[in-house]
Amino acid sequence: MLLQQLINGITLGSVYALIALGYSMVYGILELINFAHGEIYMLGAYFGIIFFGFLTVLGVTNYSIFLSLILTFLLSIMFCSAYGFTIEKIAYKPLRNSTRLSPLISAIGVSIFLQNYVMLTQGATDKVFPNLFGARGFYFLSIRMTYIQLFIIIVSILIMIFLRLFIRRTKIGKAMRAVAQDKTMASLVGINIDTIISITFIIGSALAAVAGLMVAMYYGLVNYFIGYIAGIKAFTAAVLGGIGSIRGAMVGGLLLGLVESLGGSYISGEYKDAYAFVILIIILLVKPGGLFRKAELEKV
Amino acid sequence: MKKLFPFILLLLILSIGCQSKQHDTIKIGIAGPMTGDQAKMGMDFKNGATLAVDEWNQKGGILGKKIELIVGDDQHDPKQAVSIANKMINDGVVGVIGHFNSSCSIPASDVYNRNMIPMITPGSTNPQLTDKGYKNVFRVCGRDDQQGKVGAIFVTEQLKLKNVAILHDKTTYGQGLADEFKKHIGNKAQVVYYGGIVQGDKDFKMVLTAIKSKKPDIVFFGGIYPEAGLLVKQSRELGLNVPFISGDGTIDPKFIEIAGASAAEGTYLTFSPDPKNIPSAKDFIKNYQSKFGEIGPYSIYAYDATNILLTAINSASSTDGSAISDKLHSMEFDVALGKIKFDSKGDVTVSPYVVWITKNGKFEEFWKP
Repeated sequence: MLLQQLINGITLGSVYALIALGYSMVYGILELINFAHGEIYMLGAYFGIIFFGFLTVLGVTNYSIFLSLILTFLLSIMFCSAYGFTIEKIAYKPLRNSTRLSPLISAIGVSIFLQNYVMLTQGATDKVFPNLFGARGFYFLSIRMTYIQLFIIIVSILIMIFLRLFIRRTKIGKAMRAVAQDKTMASLVGINIDTIISITFIIGSALAAVAGLMVAMYYGLVNYFIGYIAGIKAFTAAVLGGIGSIRGAMVGGLLLGLVESLGGSYISGEYKDAYAFVILIIILLVKPGGLFRKAELEKV
Repeated sequence: MKKLFPFILLLLILSIGCQSKQHDTIKIGIAGPMTGDQAKMGMDFKNGATLAVDEWNQKGGILGKKIELIVGDDQHDPKQAVSIANKMINDGVVGVIGHFNSSCSIPASDVYNRNMIPMITPGSTNPQLTDKGYKNVFRVCGRDDQQGKVGAIFVTEQLKLKNVAILHDKTTYGQGLADEFKKHIGNKAQVVYYGGIVQGDKDFKMVLTAIKSKKPDIVFFGGIYPEAGLLVKQSRELGLNVPFISGDGTIDPKFIEIAGASAAEGTYLTFSPDPKNIPSAKDFIKNYQSKFGEIGPYSIYAYDATNILLTAINSASSTDGSAISDKLHSMEFDVALGKIKFDSKGDVTVSPYVVWITKNGKFEEFWKP
């Protein structure tokens, strides 16, 4: 049972980690808590349902499920990135030189707007993502694991590795780290800050889109409200690991998933959501900077 | 001030418009979750009530006036239910059909009782609602103590299962039903797990893993279909392949859609008999289908509740809440579900619960106690 709960927790945690990365990256660069990030995740799930339905109508799903899934992922990522890019340009960029509170309030506004926009255009009822793999899975050391769980864990790990390599090794990654450390200095050495910020938002939104779509496939149920609680949990994960730190977001997400899963089964399932926040309070009291304290040095 | 003048004038005109309209019609309210994840049930309510009101209006209305339906959306939130109840009373309704969730009906019934507005719920089954002894509160559906009993008898005597896991969604309805089920299981079977989940949550794997380790023969769930669907889906994913039984909150095609047809196959639920087998419901089924399409599980209850309320208003020849309630208590009503009479509490005198099964992606009547 312990191993089974660990698998449940890791699956959940990988999703939290993917969303948390978006929070952390944006915070690292702009010191802005992007409250609209959870809604991007929700949009990712909706786009997944829309595009998958669209491909079904076109008959692509009959031809190949995997091709249509790949297409769905790509389209969903593209649209969510476009949303992330646009939100930054409309809601945050004009406020960049104002007080720190203004973009935060703007973010909350965007979040409320997107929720209601989706509610009005897509309806308030639950949407169902077609159950592609049924309950199919396999047993491994007496743990039952479904293919979709395996898929979520593998995709998350791959994405995290790529993201780390991207930030460590590429020129854009280097520029992102530079902007995170000192915007003025970075612009003096010829880095286009606006472009870097846009790229950060695009990458963050792409990760949220993947997370949203994977969750839609995993649970099969999507509504306009899922971004809210997922956003708060991912935010908790980001703070847990030390907001602004990439490594922290990954570890924080996984930790949160495990705490929820183990607490939910060994203590009481009724207070599942509370454990995450109890952990958050403890961490903030004991280690206010989060688990990875070198946040200042290792932003983005 | 000059600039404001046109607006003030406009406001005056609008308020006059409201006033003059108020006395033209007799208003009755229909309240339920019109938006949110249970909006389907609210829509069924609204359609059923609309059909009844339209039929009455075609016959010339009631007490010489047309009937107007006021729709209230409680979003299955108890707080919202109370404010909707107050709003409908301010709108001048003479009676209310609703609400759906027991957790909404119970607090709302206090408001209706203070104002002596008759309320008939088509779907709230928690015993507390009518046990309060309010003169103005009625229901056309059964009670959870009756429902839980039928479920328990089915599990222990028909399926003869020994180990039962019980889950609920911590709402008045869900937990109430689960408790009644547990009570009637008594010592005829072993309750190996009893616990709650959070309504609106999507991940129940941790609870289900804990249940699986207790090796139950059947899982009972007191709650509504979105969670029920996910519970069935996720228990099959975890390899927990035991039968699943739930209450009337699960009877919605979305349940099968969410769980997936293969996972939902063979799940049981307790509900009233299929209206398709009731002779007096034939006309209703035909008219409803031609107007709104597929019949929802609670459409007929909303339709009947509306007809009962209007009949009572008609024979009381008054819109006084107390007089209507007296009529509701004393009369026998001949409606689509058959003959309905209320006892002194406001419950229906006979409420036959049966067990349904999911077969080939559809709900079917399965077993009678």
